[in-house]
Amino acid sequence: MYASKKYWMIAWILVLPALLIRIFTTIYPIIETFHISLFEVKLLQGIRKFVGLDNYIQLFHDSKMITSIRFTAIFVVGSMIGHIVLGIILALILNMKFRGQKVLRTIVLLPWAMPMVVIAMASKWAFNNEYGLINDFIRRFAPSFNLDWLIYTNTARSAVIAVDLWKDLPFFAILVLAGLQFISSDMYEAAKIDGAGSIRSFFSITLPLISRNILMLSIFFTMWRITSFDVVYAMTSGGPGESTALIAYRVTTEAFTNLNTGYAASIAVVLFLVMAVLSGLSMSAAKRVDY
Amino acid sequence: MKRLWSLFLTGSLTIAVALSGCSSNGSKANETTSGTKDAGNAGKDEITLYTIQSTNPKFQDWLKEAEEKSGVKINWVAAPTDSDTRQQKVSTILSSGDNTVDILEINDEMATSFKNAGWLEPLQDTVLTGDVLKQLPQGYMKDMLTSSKGDLVGVPSYTGYLGLWVDQKKLDAAGMTSINNEEDFVKFLKATTKDGQYGYGGSWEKTYVFNEIATFVNLFGGDYFDWSNEGSRKAVKFMYDMANTWKVTPVDQIADKYEQMNQKFIDGKYASVFMWGTGTDYKQANRYGEDQIHMINMPEFAKRSIFTDSWSYVLNSASKNKDAAIKFLKYAASEDGELNSWKNFDRYPARADVAAKEEVTGDIKTIYNEIQSTNEVHGRPMLPQTMEFISEMGTLFQNYIQDKITLDDFCKKAQEAVERYK
Repeated sequence: MYASKKYWMIAWILVLPALLIRIFTTIYPIIETFHISLFEVKLLQGIRKFVGLDNYIQLFHDSKMITSIRFTAIFVVGSMIGHIVLGIILALILNMKFRGQKVLRTIVLLPWAMPMVVIAMASKWAFNNEYGLINDFIRRFAPSFNLDWLIYTNTARSAVIAVDLWKDLPFFAILVLAGLQFISSDMYEAAKIDGAGSIRSFFSITLPLISRNILMLSIFFTMWRITSFDVVYAMTSGGPGESTALIAYRVTTEAFTNLNTGYAASIAVVLFLVMAVLSGLSMSAAKRVDY
Repeated sequence: MKRLWSLFLTGSLTIAVALSGCSSNGSKANETTSGTKDAGNAGKDEITLYTIQSTNPKFQDWLKEAEEKSGVKINWVAAPTDSDTRQQKVSTILSSGDNTVDILEINDEMATSFKNAGWLEPLQDTVLTGDVLKQLPQGYMKDMLTSSKGDLVGVPSYTGYLGLWVDQKKLDAAGMTSINNEEDFVKFLKATTKDGQYGYGGSWEKTYVFNEIATFVNLFGGDYFDWSNEGSRKAVKFMYDMANTWKVTPVDQIADKYEQMNQKFIDGKYASVFMWGTGTDYKQANRYGEDQIHMINMPEFAKRSIFTDSWSYVLNSASKNKDAAIKFLKYAASEDGELNSWKNFDRYPARADVAAKEEVTGDIKTIYNEIQSTNEVHGRPMLPQTMEFISEMGTLFQNYIQDKITLDDFCKKAQEAVERYK
């Protein structure tokens, strides 16, 4: 009994440094954010007064915030559908055996290795009607094509989602590919003997066997999408108007540009709660999918 | 028990090492993002300058002369080139009481935001004394750099105008020799709009378009804070007509900041723009000159009016090197300091006596003199929550230009924004 107690103490002492650092860098900021969200803090005017839940009430009546919530939902759903569908297709292509397969896998990963801010700044030019490579490419097939991608709500939103996909899709595909490589070729051979075609094999063997993998990936990729802000920050500054301002971008703007720290904290808390709930649901779903 | 104690001590030591590791990393990062730091000079006539000029090819020349003549060793930290990021970083430094930076260069937007927040040191007793102050643009100093308590918080590093720049070749092709009034201006825009090229180019991104809205409001004799004023309404209607009725400027510029606008202007896509500065971008592209791109006097609409601006040196209240910082600021406000900026950065001196000197020459001096003698010169209309206000007005304007709201809606909402942020 004494020995067991002693070992517990040793264990606690050993993890204590890591624990203290975690408390200082994660738990304390979270608690402080909750705390600040109950105050009206306007640094420029030197205002700091307790307002209870007023910031939260304001949040759901703020038209800019409602636009941000809507676009964040569109961005996350649109981008994740793209990641899953195109990611699986890309992974299947990369899983085929052909000459230059390794080179292709390396090239495919290049966008993922680039910083998002760099990609987003380049994309601002890429989607420019006059100088952009997107329209230049399209004009090779449709010479009269003219579209100012970043000035209309729908096209600007599509462009933001496309850039996000372009950057992270390869990483998603490579991770799916890792799952594909665990599937034994014997299973496909057996299915073939039983008369299954490639489509039947995909839906009856491949998809079920990688579904848990995809679900786990989707959890993380969804979380990253929800907290994403750099693509919008460098590419559209939330424009045109406020139509591409993601929630995380709104937090940054309110906190560091407008210096409305209390309001920014309340948005961050809501974002935190949404993430916590989604994580919980996703993890519980992941437990049920088991092949 | 001894073992436990030794383990506890080991744990404590680990924490101490980890924390001291954090601290030493922090200071190293500060040094690597700054310029050279001579340990021998620490604490003695040494400052850290947060500057927007570090990417200028002549920055080292400027720095060398500034150090020699001010007698202060200047370490520097590069400010981000992106305006949003820069504003956020400066806000964070000042609001958090960060004392790693002593002097910062801030623009009018930041000066308006910060001058009443108590984060900037008053300079009227140490730097901006009577003899210096009387040479600086009085209206600008009062509007932009004087706090509500009457403290002067910044030393303007230059005088700039949001002037009208034209492509002379296009002016010639339009058969015109000058643009004197509204009629000439519209005639020029229409004559030069053809074959995918436009008479006027703007940067109508939501945080940039404010400059042009306010310029047209001024030209039409309006008031940026009064949207029931007929001149204010005429101004935005005029901009709407340029984009949608006469189509002499493209709507797609609502995604453009200055870098996109200037590139298009240099490439000949635009015949005229409103732009700050002395034409550095055009010089670098070999497009500057009397027969190419150059600044002309503002046309007279309801009146002839222009905005002035500056980037100002301010002293961080949290600075631990205030004596050295004041020494540097005295230099920056001196004749030597202003001429150093003119020589190396093409920044037109803010001091009238320095601008009048023989060392300051060229066509910019001629046009600046003409502007000063013929225009109403104003600081830009700003409110304390500067960027929030600017961004909201920009969003409303973009909605109006894209026919999402009417002129009446725009004016009503613009007035609400003025009242909200006042």
